[in-house]
Amino acid sequence: MLRVSAQVTETEIDLQGVSGDALAAAVGVQYGAELMQFAESFALRDEEALSVARKTLLDTAGASVLVDAAGVAANFQRMVRIADSMGIPVDDMASEVSQSVRRELELTRFESAKNSFVSP
Amino acid sequence: MDNFQYSDSPYAVRADISAAHDKFWQNLARPGNWWTGAERIAIAKEVRNALDCEYCANRKQALSPYNFAGEHNHDGDLSDVAVDAVHRIITDQTRITGAWVDGNVEKGLSKGAYVELAGLAVAMLSIDEFHRALGLALEPLPLPLPGEPDGYMPALAQEGTGFVPMLPDNGAVGDEADLWGDRSANVVRAFSAVPNAVRDWIMISNAQYLSFEGMSDFGSPANRSINRMQIELVAGRVSSINECFY
Repeated sequence: MLRVSAQVTETEIDLQGVSGDALAAAVGVQYGAELMQFAESFALRDEEALSVARKTLLDTAGASVLVDAAGVAANFQRMVRIADSMGIPVDDMASEVSQSVRRELELTRFESAKNSFVSP
Repeated sequence: MDNFQYSDSPYAVRADISAAHDKFWQNLARPGNWWTGAERIAIAKEVRNALDCEYCANRKQALSPYNFAGEHNHDGDLSDVAVDAVHRIITDQTRITGAWVDGNVEKGLSKGAYVELAGLAVAMLSIDEFHRALGLALEPLPLPLPGEPDGYMPALAQEGTGFVPMLPDNGAVGDEADLWGDRSANVVRAFSAVPNAVRDWIMISNAQYLSFEGMSDFGSPANRSINRMQIELVAGRVSSINECFY
């Protein structure tokens, strides 16, 4: 979805921001580095780093950005667990955009990729 | 609205987020299709226990999570198979297999009950995690309401996608007509054996992420302080760390 939204808005981004590269996260995305570091410390459950990242995002972008980012981050703690606990495959493995993202981020290394490659 | 006032929050929380969380709390306390209100709240408690469970932490480091001796940190209000299901969904979801879900049926956890349990667990986690992200105290759980589960499963639910029965793409009809339109996605259909789990899913996602309509806006979705690229950068980083292939 990050790639699609960048394409639709004709914005140059660097997808490696999703992999934790702060410089890449800042390419084309306002507060990209701060948002990525907030999301990262949150998902890693590193409470000390989260406290720092929360304050940095608050000071840099403001409270409404922090609250909206918290909502999204918390929501995506749920989505992976829905997919993996129910064993659902990716809807459209043939999509060109999703194939290129999977290649670029090497997503097939993830254990749950098995749910999208099993025979019906 | 009695819950989720966020009066301890140093930041203003959007009213639609408070309302969605409060509505889920009300739903949590009621009997569902497969669990009583008290059991549903016990499932919610196990979500919180799982995050501090030493057995879960050790098992996550094991090569195989299916032959690892030990006992979960739990409240004793649910069967062992239900406790393990909640803890596994919260702490080691990538290694869940269809064989494990099938094996749980023989231990008394039907697929309908598993879907409802999973729906509650992940909704609960999403709300608690919103609090953790903002450094806020967790909301006290509601008191259970009386009543028995009704055992309802939509007649059109069928095996064939993933580990559990689901409604097909064109199966949102009759009492389930509100779940989606002509087409859906697997992640929406995933809980459709328990329709209210899908409704809770959509309600919380509408507030914390985007509505279905909002998902088609790749610019600056309404009622949000961050644009779509910012939203997806956060979503992508969390999903990457969680090893989400989907």
